[in-house]
Amino acid sequence: MTEGTAPLLEVEHLSKRFGGLVAVKDIGFKIRAGEILGLIGPNGSGKSTVMKLLMGIERPNSGRISLAGVDIAGWPTHRIARQGIGIVFQHSRPLRRQTVLENIKLALLPDSLLRLVADPSVNDKAQAIATRVGLGAVMHRRPTTLPFADLRRLELAKALARDPQVVLVDEPFAGLTQAEVANFSELIDGFRQEGRAVLLVDHNVKGVAALVDRVLAMYLGEHIAEGSAEDVMQDPTVRRVYMGGKIESHARPEVELRSGEPLLDVRGVGVLYGKAQALDAVSIHVHEGEFVSVVGLNGAGKTTLFNAISGIVPHSGEIKWGGSDLRGRSVAEIARGGIVHCPESRELFGYMTVRENLDLGGHHLPAATRATQLAWLFELFPILEARQGQHARTLSGGEQQMLAIARALMLQPRLLILDEPTLGLAPVILEQLSKALHRLRETTPITVLLGEQNVTFALPHADRVYVLENSRIVWEGDPGRFAREMGTGYL
Amino acid sequence: MTKLLHSRRLWIAAVVVLVGLSAPWWLSAYFLGVLTTAYYFGVFAMSWDLLFGFAGMVNFGPTFLIGLGAYGAAILNAEAGMPIPVCLVFGTFISLIGGVLLALPAMRLRGAYFGLITLVAVLLMQYAIVIFAHVTGGEIGMTVPSVLSIDATTNYLYALIFMVICGIVLYGLSRSAIGLILEATGQDDIEAAALGFNVAKHRLAAFCISAALSGLAGGMLVFYLGAASIDTVIDLSIGVQIIIASVLGGRRTILGAVIGAIVLLLADELLRPLGQLNTFVVSAFALAVILFFPDGLLGHLLHAGERQ
Amino acid sequence: MIGLQILIDGFAISSLYALGAIGFTLIFGVSGVLNLAHGGIMLIAALIGWYVAYTFNVSPYIGGAVGIVAGLISAYATYYIVVRPIQRSRTIPAEEHEIFILTATLLWGIMIQVGMDFLFTDNPVTMRPLLPGVISVLGVRTPKNEMMIGVLCWVVIGLMWLLINRTRAGKTLLAASDNPRALGLLGFEISRVYLLAWTIYGLLAGVAGVLLASFLGISSAGAGELTASAFSIVVLGGLGSVTGSLVGAYIVGYLETITAYLIAPTLRPIPALLLLVVVVYVRPQGLLGRR
Repeated sequence: MTEGTAPLLEVEHLSKRFGGLVAVKDIGFKIRAGEILGLIGPNGSGKSTVMKLLMGIERPNSGRISLAGVDIAGWPTHRIARQGIGIVFQHSRPLRRQTVLENIKLALLPDSLLRLVADPSVNDKAQAIATRVGLGAVMHRRPTTLPFADLRRLELAKALARDPQVVLVDEPFAGLTQAEVANFSELIDGFRQEGRAVLLVDHNVKGVAALVDRVLAMYLGEHIAEGSAEDVMQDPTVRRVYMGGKIESHARPEVELRSGEPLLDVRGVGVLYGKAQALDAVSIHVHEGEFVSVVGLNGAGKTTLFNAISGIVPHSGEIKWGGSDLRGRSVAEIARGGIVHCPESRELFGYMTVRENLDLGGHHLPAATRATQLAWLFELFPILEARQGQHARTLSGGEQQMLAIARALMLQPRLLILDEPTLGLAPVILEQLSKALHRLRETTPITVLLGEQNVTFALPHADRVYVLENSRIVWEGDPGRFAREMGTGYL
Repeated sequence: MTKLLHSRRLWIAAVVVLVGLSAPWWLSAYFLGVLTTAYYFGVFAMSWDLLFGFAGMVNFGPTFLIGLGAYGAAILNAEAGMPIPVCLVFGTFISLIGGVLLALPAMRLRGAYFGLITLVAVLLMQYAIVIFAHVTGGEIGMTVPSVLSIDATTNYLYALIFMVICGIVLYGLSRSAIGLILEATGQDDIEAAALGFNVAKHRLAAFCISAALSGLAGGMLVFYLGAASIDTVIDLSIGVQIIIASVLGGRRTILGAVIGAIVLLLADELLRPLGQLNTFVVSAFALAVILFFPDGLLGHLLHAGERQ
Repeated sequence: MIGLQILIDGFAISSLYALGAIGFTLIFGVSGVLNLAHGGIMLIAALIGWYVAYTFNVSPYIGGAVGIVAGLISAYATYYIVVRPIQRSRTIPAEEHEIFILTATLLWGIMIQVGMDFLFTDNPVTMRPLLPGVISVLGVRTPKNEMMIGVLCWVVIGLMWLLINRTRAGKTLLAASDNPRALGLLGFEISRVYLLAWTIYGLLAGVAGVLLASFLGISSAGAGELTASAFSIVVLGGLGSVTGSLVGAYIVGYLETITAYLIAPTLRPIPALLLLVVVVYVRPQGLLGRR
């Protein structure tokens, strides 16, 4: 099947800018027929943009993408698809009123306005593909009645319909159970057997390690490492990006926290996104005054957990706050009740000034309290005082993150939830942020629930650590033990 | 199961058409007239549904396309004395050109912006008609020398047959390969493109088909009424009625649009004793359908069938 | 002289347009709703104001005040009866909310228009001037009422600016149009913010309706045109941008006035519509729109 060693897909010097932001910078790689390449990077690393560039959904600013010798960079999506690249999207939106088989047939139709009636062979082909991806038994049902894994299969089936030479798969295993992951791995392995070139795009090496021949890691738009999954996992740059540098911990032994009723008690909480299990029977608790870190790779379910706690997504199970159930309370009520969520996306008011952002955070406080709170925060984050009159969107990433935290603190939270504060920040900024958190912990009795991928950032402050993996809590303990027990297996 | 439902739908449609054909024997000439207009509106509404329901394009100005066909045919008839079929072909052609012009922004603009452009197109056309009053008759409208027929039954049958043919064409199209592709582009244009479909080409095609049929129906309506005027084929309120008919009947069903148009125009007629308030009641009814049965009349029935 | 005439007339009409459009853009900015019953709400305020002043023979100020209250009530009705049920609907898919709100408010606008016809009149009505008499500005005879209305519009716009930029409640409105998700996380009930937006909208539309009735007169048949002009102005200036709406209103107002004076009154709206088409093609986000 494999014809020689000439690469099927060859990418050279690919770059893409969005306004001032360089999303992809001089990326190059090759995939041969019958080879699987993993493209990994944390959120915001540019890996998804690379995928969009390959598929023509975005146009590259420069660079070459050659498919079996033809340069397809900048072509419209439908021509690229016809030239031989198929894509499996992460979120599927099948036609709801048609059956699974009709959905697959759609992908087999010619791009013609004159062929009103599909070729009779289309039906057989569609059935063959359905059977091949494991949809044989349900092909006459409507997609809305299918479980999540089958919807993903349908996406695979559609991508296969044109018999592409290159298949791009976005987060191949997101939302799948262990058994389903094994099943999908086999299917994707099948692509390799057939001599297709496969690009798997995922957050981390671990998810795709068993399947890939090689891995390319990206960070902030740039190529940082390439090689076998093993090599990339051991690569110092990759480890620094994902985990930070050397792991330190400063649990506070003097704080006796483990007794009494927890402030926040999350029991057996599950969350479904449509049909995908985004969180599965998760139980955690946080005591008054504790600093608890939930670490886990992107996509593990940290954000979902926090969204469930702050009432943004509906959940099953029980979340108790100071002894009473949070179910049925609005996001705003929960926030006013003392759980203040500082989300991964920061959610600043970009067209308002720093000061206005902070004032909105302190809106519900009496004027005098607001003033003292503001003074205290300017002490904690002096840069914000200097930037008071500037629009939030003009701040640097690190400043934006500080503003987001400061704005959350303006609410005088009893529990501060910090989701992925290090996202997309340069190492120098991380240090500043880390110092600020340290000061915060030392000077106030604040209770914090921190979600992080970057272990080095998360551990020094933590009194207790949870590890979240594939929607479940897989480890709990104090940070000192983490380095010994989880340090190597984390990535 | 789908096959069964399919054939049952076909069967029901056949019965409905037969009942329609027998109407001249048991319905007064007056109501035949109401239904005749309703059938032309049915075609307008079906064409609109092809654009909105399948290709996902919100056209607030269906009367731009209808008006082009109507006035194109009427002017050729009045000025050059051409026979009706030639005029109809000409009107359809003009409307097709208008459709392509209107479709160009649809390739770039989304949602409300595109909707606004279609709205502006109607307003501009209205002013153009007033400005060129020596040809178009301005606000009063123009009469055409030729009419389809002066017999109510003949006119009724023309309209019915025309609507049935358009219904078959549009419904068939919606169920064909193109309909499937259009629906996919309407739902997610990036995914449709990634499956290898030229989204722009299919949208343009949908626009052309919608424009041609709207224009043709507009021309037919003119030769039925014997006149073309802003109030009958162009006014924004006509466009609103078409949208209401289509949403009322159930978007993405094509045939629902016909039901919506007939219900709407009959209700308008039956509620005439209410005087001014009849539009109020009809609009309130349509609003209630939108709020409580967002799938529309036919859509609701079909979904109820699917759930069983 | 004609230049000055255009300047004065254009100012009054543009200010009125601005008043009408600001509320429209505010609602869009805060909650993403394009309210096609906009003209209907102005109509209610104008007709009820006129009716009260005319029937009970009271001053146009009292009539106007009643009209503004009526505009406010009808804005609430629009929100609670038409918009909110769709926003909260589970059967309507989220990506179709926009078209449903457009269609539903369109129907609602027609209901208002026909209802007003039935209850009051379908003839054009004109309120008694708020300020009778004529003054001469550099030789151009201008009704005092026209000057007064231009000034009143700016007083209201100014108050509105103060409310939004200088009060804490106003700041939440700005914040909602910037990032509604964040408001919830900061403990604001978003439904309250919406209610505030609709309150301000109702007042603005009410004032605009009453002043329009006093300046040019209003008829139920013109409700759709009022909506269309607000929609055009707002898109021209940039959806959701209040400053953009002001700029858009003056461009449209002056273009119309210039056309009416220098070319022909019948062609009045055409250049503005053509400009709109060009802007939407070339710069879909509008003159001052973000994104």
